[in-house]
Amino acid sequence: MQLYVNPSDEIPIYRQIVRQITEGIAGGRLAPDEKLPSHRELAEQLVIAPMTVKRAYDELEQLGFIETQRGRGTFVCESAPKLDRSSQREEIRAAARALLSRAYMGGLPFAEVMKLLKEADREVTQGRAPKEES
Amino acid sequence: MSTVLEFRNVVRGYGESYPVINDVSFSVEQGEVVGLLGRNGAGKTTLIRLAMGLLHPQEGSVHVFGLSPTDHPVEVKKRVGYVAEDQVLPTQAVVDDVIEFHRRLFPQWDVPLERQLWIQLDIKLGATIGKLSKGEARRVALLCAVCHKPELLILDEPAGGLDPAVRREFLEVAVQLLNREGTTILFSSHQMGDLERIGSRVVLLDSRRVCLDESIERLREEYCVAMAPCSAIPNSAVLERVPGCLRVRHILNDWHAVFRRPPDVAAAELRQALGIDGIRCVQVTLEDLFVEMVGAKH
Repeated sequence: MQLYVNPSDEIPIYRQIVRQITEGIAGGRLAPDEKLPSHRELAEQLVIAPMTVKRAYDELEQLGFIETQRGRGTFVCESAPKLDRSSQREEIRAAARALLSRAYMGGLPFAEVMKLLKEADREVTQGRAPKEES
Repeated sequence: MSTVLEFRNVVRGYGESYPVINDVSFSVEQGEVVGLLGRNGAGKTTLIRLAMGLLHPQEGSVHVFGLSPTDHPVEVKKRVGYVAEDQVLPTQAVVDDVIEFHRRLFPQWDVPLERQLWIQLDIKLGATIGKLSKGEARRVALLCAVCHKPELLILDEPAGGLDPAVRREFLEVAVQLLNREGTTILFSSHQMGDLERIGSRVVLLDSRRVCLDESIERLREEYCVAMAPCSAIPNSAVLERVPGCLRVRHILNDWHAVFRRPPDVAAAELRQALGIDGIRCVQVTLEDLFVEMVGAKH
């Protein structure tokens, strides 16, 4: 998976990395057990301080999305932690309301919002269907 | 961690005028990448020249690896790499000879690294220094500053006058050094993007002193700018009295105040302290923070 950072973005670089890797896992572009580049490799690739990558990996590890195996490297966790379903639904519902308010204030109809959502889905999953929950 | 560079109560001026820096104290620990910021003339180059032993402090002390760089110039220079703001290589000399000179000077010179940098930095070995472009000459200076694998690398405005591609090459070399050698880096710059890429900490100079010394992460997440209409607040002192306030500026019809607080905390504290609603607190980029901290007050 290709990562990209923008230093003048409003969120700090380490958070950009956390977000992109989280999206990669959520969208299926990063598979369970897939090996991630070492923080040194990623630092040279993105031309950022190795400490910044380490900070991002530490956070992802704390969230339970990736794990570092001594001497082998860093891997996507076999089963990323699932949030509690009902609290997750509440969070998404609130986000959906905020999204719609903004769209309607800008005069965007529901159909346009749906179109944008589908576009975002393609960006996050890159054609891979989201995993079905059992 | 050990201290690599230390300024303690340093005072330095030129001639009869006011000191350029007055009572400056900060230190740099091993492995840190510190960005030295400040407006033009704030004393960044003076501090760097003090660290290199090119200037004596008039008061206070400067230590590099625990040694005074003016009393122990050879021991210090062996372990430091330095790229000056101006082109300082001899203009008549051929690039290859300049590199050869440095190679002979340092017993720990890393020949494979030198070869790698020939290619990476596209070094024109047969050219005369005087015939090189500014960017090409800075690349040669960078190669000469890093191939003895310095424990401390000091870059004075590495971006000054260079195009974005050369700047990125400088950053790439810096990241490689951080990765492979754990090099400590002190660099002065006006390029906030470069600083965010490789920096871990900011030391901001203003009015001859250090006005801010903080990790970049904290600057991005635990600082904010509060914007309040002048109609609601009679003078800047009202804001300056609120805990965490670092500086207040007057912009058109608003006050802009920098707070050492996350935005939500600052907003709550302001509401409580002043009894006014609607003061907007926002997280800002390093560039905006720089402007709010050292830009004109009116």
